[in-house]
Formats: sequence, structure tokens, C-alpha cells
Amino acid sequence: MRDPRRPVVYVAFALIFAFFALTLHDDGFLSRTNLVNIVRQTTPVTVMAVAVVFVFSAGEIDLSIGSVVALSALATADVMQTHSAVLAVAAGLGVGIGVGIVNGLFVTMLRLPSFLVTLATMGVVAGLARSITNLESVAVESSSFIKLFGSGDVGPIPGLAFWAAGTVAIGYFVFGHTRFGAHVLATGDNAGAARVAGIRVDRVKFGVLVLSGGAAAVAGILYTGRLQGASYTVGDQALLTVIAAVVLGGTSLFGGKGSVIGALFGSLIMGVLTNGLILWGLSASEQLIAQGVLLLLAISLTMRVPRDELR
Amino acid sequence: MQHHAVDRSLVRGDSRRPTGCRRARFATVVVVPLLVAGVSCTSTEGGGERARSVPIKSSKAVGATVGPRGEKPTPTSALTLTPAEVATVRAGRYTAALAWHENSDFTTAVTAGARDEFRQLGIEVIAETSANFDPAKQKSDIETMEALEPSVLLTLPVDDVITAPAYKALARQGTKIVLLSTLPRGMRYGRDYVNLVTDDLFEMGKRAADALAAAVGNQGTIADFFHDAEHYVTNERDEAFLQTITTNYPKIDVVAKQGIADPNSSLDEANAVLLAHPHVSGIYVTFSQPPAEGVLAALHANGNTTTKLVSLDLDEPLALDMAKGGATFALIADKPYDLGQAMAKSAAYGLLDKSAPAFVVGPAMTITKANLVEGYRESLRENPPASVMKALGK
Repeated sequence: MRDPRRPVVYVAFALIFAFFALTLHDDGFLSRTNLVNIVRQTTPVTVMAVAVVFVFSAGEIDLSIGSVVALSALATADVMQTHSAVLAVAAGLGVGIGVGIVNGLFVTMLRLPSFLVTLATMGVVAGLARSITNLESVAVESSSFIKLFGSGDVGPIPGLAFWAAGTVAIGYFVFGHTRFGAHVLATGDNAGAARVAGIRVDRVKFGVLVLSGGAAAVAGILYTGRLQGASYTVGDQALLTVIAAVVLGGTSLFGGKGSVIGALFGSLIMGVLTNGLILWGLSASEQLIAQGVLLLLAISLTMRVPRDELR
Repeated sequence: MQHHAVDRSLVRGDSRRPTGCRRARFATVVVVPLLVAGVSCTSTEGGGERARSVPIKSSKAVGATVGPRGEKPTPTSALTLTPAEVATVRAGRYTAALAWHENSDFTTAVTAGARDEFRQLGIEVIAETSANFDPAKQKSDIETMEALEPSVLLTLPVDDVITAPAYKALARQGTKIVLLSTLPRGMRYGRDYVNLVTDDLFEMGKRAADALAAAVGNQGTIADFFHDAEHYVTNERDEAFLQTITTNYPKIDVVAKQGIADPNSSLDEANAVLLAHPHVSGIYVTFSQPPAEGVLAALHANGNTTTKLVSLDLDEPLALDMAKGGATFALIADKPYDLGQAMAKSAAYGLLDKSAPAFVVGPAMTITKANLVEGYRESLRENPPASVMKALGK
């Protein structure tokens, strides 16, 4: 299932990076601090994007990840007020995996479309996030938690980079080199054929939705470490950024085709775009316009269907 | 201004809300149908005639705006720079960054005021961001700005708990930070930030009370729709309103106090209150967009043409209703352009190492149909929307 057009996302990333490097070389774009910031800022998106590659490749979608980020972050921060960091992380992960299981059960047992199921759970989870702490933000003071999940560095490398690299490595291996990865692609390509071939399609769909719930929880925990606290608005912007990153990376919205490394570069493109446009000194409205235009350019580069494929 | 209306990430709850919220839901789901079924005779107010309005008079102040840590207020007009100080700042070739919590007419006007003042001071604005209420985005925005090493940062923090570390890091780098409306926890005046600039919140609440009292002829019954969340800006204004009404207007009876926890659900809450008190003379709503719009819609839906409405912040549907002589009697507005100017001046204080007042408050104004056009021009530095001008016959 290799996509011949996949390398284009790297070209798009290189072009955008080179563009900002040339135009902003006097404004600190290439400074170590700024590059480290880009990595830190994109890590939670990268973690979610890797899981969403599996979801899209299986022909499903998960709209609940943004609200799972907030609820997991709040659960982690809230439990940490009275219990150990280990228990808090378990609570955060439990929330994400729990939502994933609910999504998976509704999609597989009741044969409902994941778009509608996750749209509904998105609302429920967002409501829970607002209510569990009465809209109040929760601060985290555990320095070991903050170092491990957010602000710590290992030598010159930010700790968050290891989370991104680890997730991408595991995702790459599972997607490209295990039976589960192959089954995900087969399910997304043609669920009927996959079923005939003996693949337990429902189990695959259930698995990818639990995976994306878990990944959203990890992202929520990373946000908590980075922000040294949590609020119900954390992750508000995450869903669309993740979808854009995954699709830019060459994963099909309609299943059967995906790329984990592509999603990493898609996430980096989104991060570099946001960063570069701020450094350019554009107003908030101008940034939105420029981001849309540059994104269109990037999509045109990476997703245009070659003429011979249309015949 | 919208910053109050939709500043949801600044909103933090207190123990009252769940009960109030549940009660409101219960009222909407269970009690409302019962009332509709014919229990409207439970109303405690008689009549239903339009209260005779009187001219608005300023009553005595029964309190004053104080800072989140009890700081005494200093008016924006007290911030001054001598020509020599302006020259020193100009010679410094400083740079500024602006990190807002959202993108609205409020932040646009604050930005315009700040940019105009910065121009006078020779300070170049090199970056501007909007966090869309996401604290993670605001943290990333501030980190990105670090690369530009701005001399000053003007900002409205999305959250008072989890944005502080990012600001402190920037302050350690030497950037002078001027805060708008929200003071993140643990930030120390003089070390981490230059000062906090906000509206004269007590004055706004007091003006709302004086306006609503005038609307109902200084007597009768009113309903108080307050913001049922822990939010410094709205809490101060709501408290000032209630304190002024109950102290200075003994003939006015507050028959309903309804908390609004979710600004978007005010229509339900207003319906419940109007069914219980259909002939209430006046209504105060904590801010205009969206809760006061919801209350106005409820008045229209209930065929109520007698109750008068007063709220805070300029807003097109309410201004249009006011222009048409509808329920909206007055809107209390701040002057965000002035706040922006005051923030830029405060930044200059920081750059000069001149001691800045810790807590600076901007002026407020009462806008009625009579001064609607001037109100828009003075508050937002723009003309009213075309619909409002048309309704005014201009």
C-alpha cells in the first residue's frame, strides 16, 4: 500500500521551512530555542496524528479526540491534587481508553458510523470536562511529572521530542511491519473483501478507536506537563490541526492508505506554519488567511491526483 | 465587549453553580411546562404596565474597583510621560508583541489604541497573536515570541492558573509585561509584570444600576441575571450593580436573582424567570453578547413589551433594539481604545524603570438611545452598524 506521491510531503515541508528560514533568518526562526519550541509545540499533535493515521486508514474517523485531550488533562491534574503522579497518569489514560472503548463498542456492536458516534461522544466528553472541575483550571506542581511530560530536557534535546519520536517509531513499526497494520489497511481498503479474507474487521475498527482515545489521553497528559496544569479549553484547536497533519502526510480520509512518517511531517508543517507566520509579524487575522493559503498550496502539492490515475 | 461575553477560559466555577444550574434546568424542563399549563397566576407582581422612566442620575458610590489583590485603582488618565521620557523611549528603538486571548472587536480596539500610542513612542509592533481561548496555543504563542525578544508584551491571559509559567519565563528574559483584565497566579508586581490594566468595573456596575433604576422610575421589581462563575471582571461588575441597587434604591425590589453559568443558555433561564415573574419592570444582564441577547429574545418570545433591559458592553442586536425604542434602555460600555493606549504607556513606564501604578482602570460610559452614535464612536472608535444607523433614521 505504498503511495508513490508520499515523498511530496517532505518536499512541502522542506520548501516551507526553507521559505521561513530565508525570510526570517534575522528574526530568530533558526535559533535553537525556536526550533526546540516548534518540536515542543507539535509533539501532542504528532502523538495524536500517529493514532489517527490508523483510524483513517481503517476507513473510520474519531472526532472526539479534542475533547478527550481536555478531559484526560483535567483528570490527570485533578487526581494529582490528592494522589500520586502515577495514579494521576493512569486516570488520564483510563479516561482516553475508556472513551475509545465506548466509541469502539458503538461502532462495532451497533454498526453505527464512527462519524456520528464520535460526534456524540465529543459532546458528552466536552460536557464532562466542563463539569468535573466547575470550569476551573487545575494547576500541577509535581516537578517530576512536569519534567517527564512537558518541560524537561535531556541534554540539548527537549524531553517532548522523545515522546514524539517514540510514538512515531512504534506507530511506524506497527503500521508497516505487523499483522495488525496490514489488517487496518485491508479493512479501510475494502471491508467486505477483508472480512472474506478472514480479517476480523470489527476487532480492527474497535482497536483503532481505542488507540486514538489512548493517544488523545497521552496528548492531554503531555499538555498538562507542558502547561503545568489543565483546563477544559486545552485541545480546543487540536482536532482540525491533527486531521490536517494526517491528510497532508498522505493518509486517505477514505481508508486503505496511510503514512505515519508523513503524519509526522504533516504535523511539523502545521507547527512551522504557525510559528513562522507569528514571527513574520502578521496580525491574528492575517495569520489565519496566510495559514489557509499556504495550507492550500501544501495540499495542492501533496494531494493532487496525477492525471494518469484519473483515466 | 465580547471579551467579557465569551471569555470562557477565564471563567472558573464556584460551589454555587451546579446547584443553580440544575435548578435552572429543572425549572426549564419541569416547572416551565407546568407554568405554561396555567399556573401563571403565581406571579408576585401585579400590573403589566410600562414603568415610567426618569432621567438617569448618578447615585452615590457605595464601593470602588479594587485590584485582584486589593490594589487601589489609578485612572488611565493619571498615566503621563514627559517629553524627555518620550524621547528616551524613542531613542531605545524598542519592540512590542501583543498576545490576546481571542480576536474580537474588543481586542481590535485595544490593539488600535496600543498601536497608536506605540507609534508616538517609536516602538515597533513585531508580533500579534490570538489564542482562541486555548491556553496551550497561548503558551506556544508566547514561546514563539521569545525568539523575537520583544522589549514589551501586552497581553490578556486566557487563564489565570496555567499561563503564569510562560509569562514568568518571558519576564526573566527581560521583556516588560503589561496585563489586561486577568492577573495570572503567582506573578509578582514589578518583577514579573509592570501593571494590570482593566475597566473601572465597579463604576460599570454602578452605572448599570443607576440606568436600570431610571428605566423603572426608581421603583418596582427587577430581575438580576448575574454571571454564575468565578470570573473577576463580571463578578466585580455584578456585585457593584446589586450593591448599588439595594443600597441606593430602596423602592426597587430584586424579585429574581438568576445565575448564568453557560452564557449561551440564557434564553432558557430567562424564559423560566419571565414565567415566574411576567410583569417584572426591569432586568439587569451581566453582559450583552450572548446572555442579554438571549434575555431579549425571551422577552420578544413572551410578547413582553413592558420590561426594560440594561446590560453591559455594546452589541448590535441590543443597540438595534434600543434604536427602535424596544426593551433595551441602556448599555454600559468601556473604552477599549483607551485601555490599549494605557497599556502602551504602562509599557513605557516599564522600559524607563519608572514606577507604574499597580492597578490602572479605564473609564466607563452609559449609552442610551440619545447618545448611541456618540457612544459607538467614543467606545469603539467606529460608527454604529448600518442597521442601527438606519433605525435611528441617520
